[in-house]
Amino acid sequence: MKKTFWYPIVFMALLTAIFTFVLAYMDYSTAERVAANEEYELQTKILYVFDIDFEDSSVEGVDRLFNEKITLEDDVYIYQEGDSIEGYAFPVAGSGLWGSIVGYVGISEDYSTILGLTFTQQSETPGLGGRIEEEDFLSQFRELDISESSQGEYVVYNPAPGGNVDAIAGATLTSKSVANFMNDDIHSFLQERRGE
Amino acid sequence: MAKQKTGEIFSMGVWLDNPILRQLIGICSALAVTNLMVNSLVMGIGLTFVTAFSSLTISAIRHYTPKHIRMMVQVLIIAAYVIMVDIFLKAYMPEMSKALGPYIGLIITNCIIMGRAEAYAQKNPPLPAFYDGVANGIGYTGVLLFIAFFRELLGFGSLFGIQIFGDWWTAWTIMIMPPSAFFLLAIAIWIAYNLREKHQSEGAKS
Repeated sequence: MKKTFWYPIVFMALLTAIFTFVLAYMDYSTAERVAANEEYELQTKILYVFDIDFEDSSVEGVDRLFNEKITLEDDVYIYQEGDSIEGYAFPVAGSGLWGSIVGYVGISEDYSTILGLTFTQQSETPGLGGRIEEEDFLSQFRELDISESSQGEYVVYNPAPGGNVDAIAGATLTSKSVANFMNDDIHSFLQERRGE
Repeated sequence: MAKQKTGEIFSMGVWLDNPILRQLIGICSALAVTNLMVNSLVMGIGLTFVTAFSSLTISAIRHYTPKHIRMMVQVLIIAAYVIMVDIFLKAYMPEMSKALGPYIGLIITNCIIMGRAEAYAQKNPPLPAFYDGVANGIGYTGVLLFIAFFRELLGFGSLFGIQIFGDWWTAWTIMIMPPSAFFLLAIAIWIAYNLREKHQSEGAKS
């Protein structure tokens, strides 16, 4: 073993350089693929929010359908069928039990109905709070009438008066948090839109 | 250290000196990802890959590595391989990457890899070190799958996402939550201990 002062430093620097180079190359060569995956996932989720069926679930098929019907303005997705606007999807976000929850809410063109809901990021307890991503919970937000809802109370859990959605049993904190940030974000979106 | 045969390396890593059941290391991830069979399998494969190749690399450069900075070198090599697994999953298995989330990154801190690097790879030639990594990875994966089998079956009524029990099955919510992994892991260790004891006392008699 060489016992010079410089040897360990040079050795470490060289080793770091080699591995950094390999990793940078891997990252660079897969960057496009990773971006495409994320794009595909977002597109399928936005399509889901607007309840648009897609028969062709390949990457190209979804992309074509998405570009045909949906345009992005600022951070609001606009769903158009032909020339008429059918609805808007805007991001909602808040804190969950373990981390941030981010999702999109679709709302009809006349702001009277929630078209659908999806989550793009959540780290709730699997099997409990994590069930907010399951169809049983999300489907409750399909065609949810909010025209009669009082200000800022669009999502109300049963059996409270005016309740329109079931919370998840055993995941009270997650459910509450979801309702709170949805109500806040829907409210500010509607105010902004109606104010325009 | 005496030269070991490949078969011995495998029987040590997979069963006799199993990282989880015998050495009691790598427990945290065993508790965390075992609620689904698929997660456990991918986690196991990821760990096997990282352990095997980091052992190989560490062993290959062991004569050139100055002793007093060997830990730094090991961590660097392990981290590099973990990031490779992470990038691979993100690019080719996005669903899996999402399901495992932060646990892939946490392979870096899995004691098994560091343990094998220190205990074996540092003192043995590359090829046996590689086998040793694979063997320990398989041992780890086996225990994970054993625990995940019961957790997923009782917690969701399914195996590898395929529904086994019908609607009549009431899912045991506790099986999906972390505490159940403690019970099951303890039971697994107890069974393994008894089997080993029996095996050893029989060996002593004959």
